[in-house]
Amino acid sequence: MEQVVANGIYLGSQYAMIALGLTLIFALMNVLNFAHGQMYVIGGFVTYTFYGQFQMPFLLALLMSCLTLTVLGALIEKFLFGPVIRRSAREESTMLLAAGIAFLLDAIILLVFGEKQRGVPKIVDGVFNWDFRIIMPYDRILICALAILSIVAFITFMQFSRTGRALRALAQDRDAAQLMGVNVNRYSMIGFALGAMLAGLVGGLLVTITGVNLGMGGPTSIKAFLMVMIGGAGVISGAIVGGFILGMLEAVGLAVLSQYGDITYLVIFVALMIFLTIRPQGLMGKPWG
Amino acid sequence: MASRILHFQDVELYYDRVYALRGVTLELEEGETIALIGANGAGKSSILRAITGLSRIDSGSISFRGERIDGRDTARIVEMGIAIVPEGRRVFPYMSVKDNLLMGAFTRRDKAEIRQTLESVLERFPRLQERYRQVAGTLSGGEQQMLVIGRALMARPQLLLLDEPSLGIAPKLVQDIARSIIRINREDGVSVLLVEQNSRMALSISHRAYALTTGNVVVSGGSRELLNDPRIKDAYLGGAA
Repeated sequence: MEQVVANGIYLGSQYAMIALGLTLIFALMNVLNFAHGQMYVIGGFVTYTFYGQFQMPFLLALLMSCLTLTVLGALIEKFLFGPVIRRSAREESTMLLAAGIAFLLDAIILLVFGEKQRGVPKIVDGVFNWDFRIIMPYDRILICALAILSIVAFITFMQFSRTGRALRALAQDRDAAQLMGVNVNRYSMIGFALGAMLAGLVGGLLVTITGVNLGMGGPTSIKAFLMVMIGGAGVISGAIVGGFILGMLEAVGLAVLSQYGDITYLVIFVALMIFLTIRPQGLMGKPWG
Repeated sequence: MASRILHFQDVELYYDRVYALRGVTLELEEGETIALIGANGAGKSSILRAITGLSRIDSGSISFRGERIDGRDTARIVEMGIAIVPEGRRVFPYMSVKDNLLMGAFTRRDKAEIRQTLESVLERFPRLQERYRQVAGTLSGGEQQMLVIGRALMARPQLLLLDEPSLGIAPKLVQDIARSIIRINREDGVSVLLVEQNSRMALSISHRAYALTTGNVVVSGGSRELLNDPRIKDAYLGGAA
């Protein structure tokens, strides 16, 4: 029991960060970023390159992941999403663009990093063992702590900084935010870069546990969408709740359902569909808050 | 002699080939309150959209303190010292009263002075002080109206634009709002451009007024005279001519 909860919290902390980035981008720009999983994978490969290959300190490699994705996110917003949103009257345009970017990033990842599964040396050795009730390797605990720290930092930033306030205002009422002097183009770019950075950060964190490979992008995006649907699109609290719920479901599923075969996600999908017919806006469904 | 703070010269604006403004000329002296009155669709809100750059004008010019502002970005125009209370209030519904007010000061960087303005705004609207931590979407209509006026004051504007501040507000509160507009003008020396369908209220608190019909200024003059002008009835019943 304790073990399942601990696993759930560990998974949830990673998932919540992925969902936060996705929901931030959605709330700000009404863009469903199908390329979110690919951004996560790039984050993983960058940390692999700097930490695994060049043997730089892990935190420095993590910083490089964040930096790479921030720049990539900013460029994608400035040259792709920004112009399309300004010119197109149809919302599907951004969805198609996002899907296209997902394929493009997949191709770039293949070209730059190859198709192999890559892993890195453990960041810390040893296993925490509480009387055989909770057994968890120290590196997982560390990664989980770093993820929770990042989430707290992100919320603090959104809640109390001038930029965070402007981002929230922009998500809640675009015109009104503009009338307060918020430069929509600049802050859309900042928001998108921030969302991409979160994806890259989780990628860098998780590469130390699960490794990284080209094929992880799509499934990661799907999980991110699941979490956002559970919690409610465009809401910080929803993303966090959705992330932890999915993490917990997965942990429970692996403990309870695995004896019946690999059906955890089947059950989760069915449950989600039923849930969404009852509450289509998700648990916390409302615009950004 | 007072100087001209806002000047519209032959401004034309159309949406999809439908004229919203056809050659509007108007001006606002520093320290003055002017009212724009007229029915729905007369072009009042289009004038505000043109000033704030949310709509691009098709010909003519708009100047603020002698500088052309038409064609500039909204953010840039707001930074120059123009604040707006938009129609329908438009609070940030999921943000606290405090954060809403701070958003009003977005273009300012001087933390200590922002703090001072915040205190003076809360002094002026004690209701906002009571609701300081509350989420803005849960305030009553009147409270939200005070909040957006306070938010606009947070920018310490030289020119305040108000778009239908009495719309959907209880009659008793309309008087409160009218009073605070007078105070903002007299005590803070802010020039005010007031757009109102409630012409009686608008004319009673402004120095001069322009009456619009379908994108044209049809009558203009001192507000007191206009209150007794028979033509005004035609103008603000609107569109018939």
